[in-house]
Amino acid sequence: MFAFPAEIPTEKPLESPAEKAVEKSAPLRSRELPVGLADRVRPTTPVAGRLLPVPAPLVPLFPDGALRRGTTTTVAGEPGHGATTLALALLAAVSQAGSWCAAVGLPDPGVVAAAELGIDLRRVVFVPHPGRGWAEAAGDLLRGVDVVLVRPPGRARGTVARHLAARARDRQAALVVLVERGSDWPQGGDLALTVGDVEWQGIGQGHGHLQRRRAEVRVSGRRSAGRDAECTLWLPADSGVVAATAATVAKTAKGEDGSVGAGPDNGPKAA
Amino acid sequence: MELERLVVIWCPLLQQEGGRGEEARRFVQVVARAGEICPWVHPIRLGVCALPARGPARFFGGEEMVVRHLVEAVEEDGSVGVADGLFGAILAARSQLIVPAGEVAQFLAPWSVATLARPELAVTLQRLGVTTLGQFAALPAPHVSDRFGADAAACHRLCRGESGELAGVRDRAIDRRLRVARGEDPDQGSEPPPFQPGFFGGASAAETRAALSFARVQERLGVDAVLVGRLRGGRDPSEQAALVPWGSPEAEGPGTGGAPWPGRLPPPSPTRVLGVPQRAEMVDATGRAVVVSGRGLLESEVDRLSVEGGPWQPVVAWAGPWPVTERWWSVRRRRARLQMVMADGTARLLYNERTQWWVEALYD
Repeated sequence: MFAFPAEIPTEKPLESPAEKAVEKSAPLRSRELPVGLADRVRPTTPVAGRLLPVPAPLVPLFPDGALRRGTTTTVAGEPGHGATTLALALLAAVSQAGSWCAAVGLPDPGVVAAAELGIDLRRVVFVPHPGRGWAEAAGDLLRGVDVVLVRPPGRARGTVARHLAARARDRQAALVVLVERGSDWPQGGDLALTVGDVEWQGIGQGHGHLQRRRAEVRVSGRRSAGRDAECTLWLPADSGVVAATAATVAKTAKGEDGSVGAGPDNGPKAA
Repeated sequence: MELERLVVIWCPLLQQEGGRGEEARRFVQVVARAGEICPWVHPIRLGVCALPARGPARFFGGEEMVVRHLVEAVEEDGSVGVADGLFGAILAARSQLIVPAGEVAQFLAPWSVATLARPELAVTLQRLGVTTLGQFAALPAPHVSDRFGADAAACHRLCRGESGELAGVRDRAIDRRLRVARGEDPDQGSEPPPFQPGFFGGASAAETRAALSFARVQERLGVDAVLVGRLRGGRDPSEQAALVPWGSPEAEGPGTGGAPWPGRLPPPSPTRVLGVPQRAEMVDATGRAVVVSGRGLLESEVDRLSVEGGPWQPVVAWAGPWPVTERWWSVRRRRARLQMVMADGTARLLYNERTQWWVEALYD
């Protein structure tokens, strides 16, 4: 058995090439700053829009019409009622726009479903089994990507929720939390989306197939600007994307923005 | 976690690019000819390409047969090897070996620490009397990461057979170089290069930031904890797509774009594909088990379902069974697939194999 020698000369730990690359591009490193100040400085986010796009049918759910950087959005729903579909759909437009996204704690994610929802698989990493390290992994990823979707294993502790929300704010990333009930995320999110009643269509007693799921989605939360709204979505429609139902399209068309609604080929063929 | 089994083709004469780009053009031919034998061949760097071993081995009847077919196809001076993980597979190719599954650490043990391509680490280790990867692997893991840092810890996990590859093994610009060699516009590929050039001639700031955060999670949870999805062909939800480690050769390639296979269920696809299917019981209104007849039909109407011995839940709708006769060369697997909606609004995908029902996926 090889014995580890005790008298190892203490050397500077080797740096990985990636770390070196960063050093090169960041001439002012925090450890060169005065003590005291080094703890308080924060790397700045490159100038970028404050908003991250969401698929057109989900635009009416958001007060800004998009995910706002630095905020926390909870997506809640009974298991099996489509909350996972809704949460994954929030990554679709962002990943297509070239931003990196991450999904932490979604066990066994359906990759084909993710692609059908419009997610660009080249821009999303999955950490399906983080175990007890889920919060640390989500915290690490909030430093590096624009949207982190996290599914805590149960009700999250208050300190953990506060820490992650603060990290998202600091790093100007969007945090999306997938929970069974909104109350499973202490303090709630800036915005809370809740999937209510659902109904599968296209399948009968021994015929047809699962075609589309009609779902009521409720919006509430601090950032909903007091306008608790509810809308009906295909979650998903028969091509696998999320789409507005005919009723929602009519409602938004009457509103201030007529362009909002399902794209021409997003909607189900028959309502 | 188990490392991915890889076949590597190694062409030493094509590793260095000469002035006229002849090597790159010949390497393009190697990749193309190998690709005619097996799909999913990924160039790693000039002179080295890799492909997953498992599927082709099933198809050709063993890894030896895969190697034989590739050797015939390549038509260049080179060699082929098979092992767990990219690093081991490259060394296996150089030694013209098939390293048995699960034994990559023993295979790596006699190699010099210099093979890690970490000169500073190699010098330090040799000064301490550690000259082989096996001796390095025998050092206690906490000491290695404390004394030598994260990159050395990654090397250490590799030597123990706990991870499959090291940063820096792959040439990130290889796809671009091969497009140039093919005479294509380097920037007009079927997909954008994974790393956009940034201000410092390397990766852009956003890419570096993302890559560093993934590396941090890998350090925390292991290399195989951070995965990316790739589409393949296939009928089962579990075959149509795969999750592969971020940064692995399979993660870099274009994938087949999910070419629709005959027999595939129409969308929407399930959002959760269970890694381990759940055993299920299904009965009709009289309490008799629902079975699939020889003609591929349900012999009675589904009334309720119990998963893993749990309570009986009423079934409100179902569709199928869709018989799936698995690939023609496998006679053992015959499945029938069923979609089902429960009274609580949830939907599941089940399959039947040898009279047993299993829950395969959930539509959450």
